Amino acid sequence: MTEHLTEDEVLAAIPGLTRTRLFAFIETQLVIPLRQETENSSAHSFRQVDFARLRLLCELTDDLELDEHALDIVITLIDQLHAARQDLLAIVRAVEAEGIEVRTRVGSAIIAPKK
Amino acid sequence: MTIDPYGALGLTKSATADDIKKAYRKLVRTSHPDLHPDDAGAEARFKEIAAAHDLLKDPATRARFDAGEIDASGTERPQRQYYRDFAEAGDNPYQQRQGFETHGDPADIFAEILRQRTRQGGGDFGDRGFPMPGPDFRFMLEVPFLDAVRGGEMRITLPEGENIAVRIPQGSQDGQTLRLRGKGGPGHGGGPAGDALITLSVRTHSVFRREGDDILVTLPITIDEAVLGAKVTAPTISGPVSLTVPKGVSSGRVLRLRGRGVPVMSSKAAGDQLVELKIMAPPVIDDALRDFLTDWRKNHSHDPRAELLNEAAS
Repeated sequence: MTEHLTEDEVLAAIPGLTRTRLFAFIETQLVIPLRQETENSSAHSFRQVDFARLRLLCELTDDLELDEHALDIVITLIDQLHAARQDLLAIVRAVEAEGIEVRTRVGSAIIAPKK
Repeated sequence: MTIDPYGALGLTKSATADDIKKAYRKLVRTSHPDLHPDDAGAEARFKEIAAAHDLLKDPATRARFDAGEIDASGTERPQRQYYRDFAEAGDNPYQQRQGFETHGDPADIFAEILRQRTRQGGGDFGDRGFPMPGPDFRFMLEVPFLDAVRGGEMRITLPEGENIAVRIPQGSQDGQTLRLRGKGGPGHGGGPAGDALITLSVRTHSVFRREGDDILVTLPITIDEAVLGAKVTAPTISGPVSLTVPKGVSSGRVLRLRGRGVPVMSSKAAGDQLVELKIMAPPVIDDALRDFLTDWRKNHSHDPRAELLNEAAS
């Protein structure tokens, strides 16, 4: 299974990340960690993807001086970009696996100017 | 690393602190790997820029560098993983769309994408605020072994404080994710609510172990049961059952209880329970047993290790 980090580990590893800021990110759902539920306690548990995302959020905030609204817009656009790229990649792989005839037909349909 | 931090930021030594900040921000925009997922060179460029900025952003460090007290090598940044490395992965939880999962004909995938596009983008300009589904909430839930195997119900508390029941399906596996539709964050502009995604972490059990759909149990038996055979009681996940131990068994012999393993949702056949026998000496060796075995050894010795020792030597 993937390695998970605790709240303290995440705070220690990312410069510029304070507990207040981390809670704000979680509150606004810019980052959605897992919640570790045991008998009578509940704690956050951060995956590697959450960790990398937190670091990006901090860099966008500190280096580009984005405020929370701009940050929300930028990270949402980045996510949409990745989704679109992944769709595209899936289609490219699927078409690539087809024979020469299909590839030619699909390729020319894309290149051909729209009516 | 022998780079010139001023050169890396496109500046000269006369740059002001403000120049440094501006130049750095501009370069972050053009070179941050997460803002340029297709740019293979972005990572190397960003590393250099960030190292240069680390050195020059602090006036004290910058003064020491200018005076030749330190060089640029100390600021080299360690390898790191960028968000784009995860965002590319198929299971990225921050994905902004449902993906190509379809339960019908693969040929319908394209039609489905087009349908989603038209629904989301088709609103006319008078329609302010487009519908957006709410975010998914993610949880990790520790499940007792038997609840995972037999199915059960547990409760979790949502971030808003609502306490909901989670039905653990029969035969749930460690790491499996359950989806509760509509139990995530509320949607915007008439969009549907997100889902609650619950990843199960199955606890171990002191008696039962699981291997695929089979349940493994180690069952202690006595010497006489091993020699003479017996009807004994064995625990299973659905309660004790009677089990026939054949005559003359050894430790390690595995008996199979068909259909007493993990129920499988998709088919009617459940897994099996495998019972591994383990011969236990009685807690007290009484005179009768000792005398009998002493006698028995005189005339009936056999060496169960003979073959083993032969093979070990070859």
